[in-house]
Amino acid sequence: MRWSMVAMSSPPALLVLVFVGIPIVIGVAYTIGYTGGLNSIATSLSVAVHSAHNGVPTWAAYRSVLASARFKSDLVVTVWVTVLTVAITLVLAWAIALYARLSGGFFSRLLAGVAIVPLFIPVVIGAYAIRNFYLNTGFIVSVGRQLGVQLPQWSYHTSGIVIGQVWVSLPFAVLLISSGLAGVPNGLIDAARDSGASLARAVWSVMLPMTTIPTVIVATFTGVGVMGSFTVPYLIGPTAPNMLGVTLQTTYASYQRPQDAQVMAVVLFVLAGGIGALYVWANARAARSSAVLE
Amino acid sequence: MSASTNVGTPSVAAPRRGTAGMIRLAVGKLAVGIVAILLLVFILGPMVWMGLDAFARRWKSPSLLPQTWTMHWWHTVLGGTQLGHSLRLSFEFALVATLASCVICLPAAYAFGRSTFLGRKTILLGLFATNAFPKMGLFTSIATLFYAMHLMTTALGVIIIQLLGTVVTMTWIPAAAFAAVSPSLIEAARDAGGGPIRVFFQITMRLAAPGIIVAVILSFLACFDEAQGTYLVGSPKYVTMPTQMYSLVENYPDQAAAVFALVLTVPSVLLLLAVRRHVMGGHLAEGFQLK
Repeated sequence: MRWSMVAMSSPPALLVLVFVGIPIVIGVAYTIGYTGGLNSIATSLSVAVHSAHNGVPTWAAYRSVLASARFKSDLVVTVWVTVLTVAITLVLAWAIALYARLSGGFFSRLLAGVAIVPLFIPVVIGAYAIRNFYLNTGFIVSVGRQLGVQLPQWSYHTSGIVIGQVWVSLPFAVLLISSGLAGVPNGLIDAARDSGASLARAVWSVMLPMTTIPTVIVATFTGVGVMGSFTVPYLIGPTAPNMLGVTLQTTYASYQRPQDAQVMAVVLFVLAGGIGALYVWANARAARSSAVLE
Repeated sequence: MSASTNVGTPSVAAPRRGTAGMIRLAVGKLAVGIVAILLLVFILGPMVWMGLDAFARRWKSPSLLPQTWTMHWWHTVLGGTQLGHSLRLSFEFALVATLASCVICLPAAYAFGRSTFLGRKTILLGLFATNAFPKMGLFTSIATLFYAMHLMTTALGVIIIQLLGTVVTMTWIPAAAFAAVSPSLIEAARDAGGGPIRVFFQITMRLAAPGIIVAVILSFLACFDEAQGTYLVGSPKYVTMPTQMYSLVENYPDQAAAVFALVLTVPSVLLLLAVRRHVMGGHLAEGFQLK
């Protein structure tokens, strides 16, 4: 019985092992100079590679990529956009979900419903629409001009990327945090209020601790998603500096330097690894606390 | 842990009398209203703006509406052969990848949802690896392997890329749905004489169906909308609608791109409207809390 379950669960595991695990291993090997074997075709398509001699790994690719000014500025942009997007998304999603949970009126439910809309729209489309909306000829600047104020253009700028990323990330965040807040019993909130806690206090001391796990899930998924994104920064962002996802693609396909692209990918993996660990930790903690409850 | 245990809302607005209290309440309501309207503009504004653009003949900058209107761009885009071709290609790829995903992931979801076995948690987290690595970095790694396996610019390569994007959705959400089917119901059905297969299809599957449907539709949309990986692996031979959008944005007038974008949005909106209640009802959220 147990073995049939293991057998049933193995196909997706194998799929991920072959098409995610192996690529990452050979990708990392590629960055330290193992340019033959499975990597030989990529090598033959490259302008230049750093190869290991006699099996001794070389860090030359890392040295050249990490030293380049373009990479450094892109890394800074990537980290900044990720941090800002996660922070803004969490605040907005919490505000929307909390408003819907506490007020329960038509308008608050409408807002929570509308916040899901970006989930309905392909990212390419959303990013394109956002770019035009915040252009010099777009809505925001036009409204400013009508009122006699010169507003800045946010498209082709880092702030435009953050706007786009928040827009794309919002539905998932609102859904998870709403679901978490729905799990907080009314009785608990009322009890806190009855014993004299202000609304802010009730939110902070009762609702927030009971919604930690969904919040961490949102933060990790959003963080990883934003970090490796391509479409939003490609369409909305400036030519340079831009996020690493865009630079990766151009380095790989346009500059034909797969090894350098791979080095950048490894840097992203390491950053995401930290975020992923946070997620695993949060889930482990959740499993422990529910085990205590049961 | 379902929303239905919380019918209504807590009594938060404990009324406070007095003029100062009334003013504070009014100011609070006004602030909430302004923030809410800004949010509505933030979320819907870009789509509305683009929708107007699709019908614009002449639209000079500071004006908030086009000066003259036209259907010209719809004829241009819908009459173009490229669009029909890439639309069909998008559907074909997404359908095949979603079907493959069902075959590969649903049995696993059942195993994860209905039993505990050694390594279960490890595998569940291992699947998360597809989401834990930044997409673009992962895609360039995969491209290296695809070159070696001669899968670059092949249909199979595109399908595998799209399939990978569905693994987490297609395992985690149905697993939560299967787990939510009460064992006592299944036992009761077996006691009443139902064979295992009959019980599986008439009880387990039926109760888990909403979660599975949400997963299937979200997976289909993920495939249908997948642009980054398909662009890297499929182009220039296989140009789906989202990848076409990249070149369209650069090479066509804004109005044509707007029309194309609206057409591309229709299938997603229709499909998601169909499952909106289930998505909002927490199936998505349930799936992302590992148990």
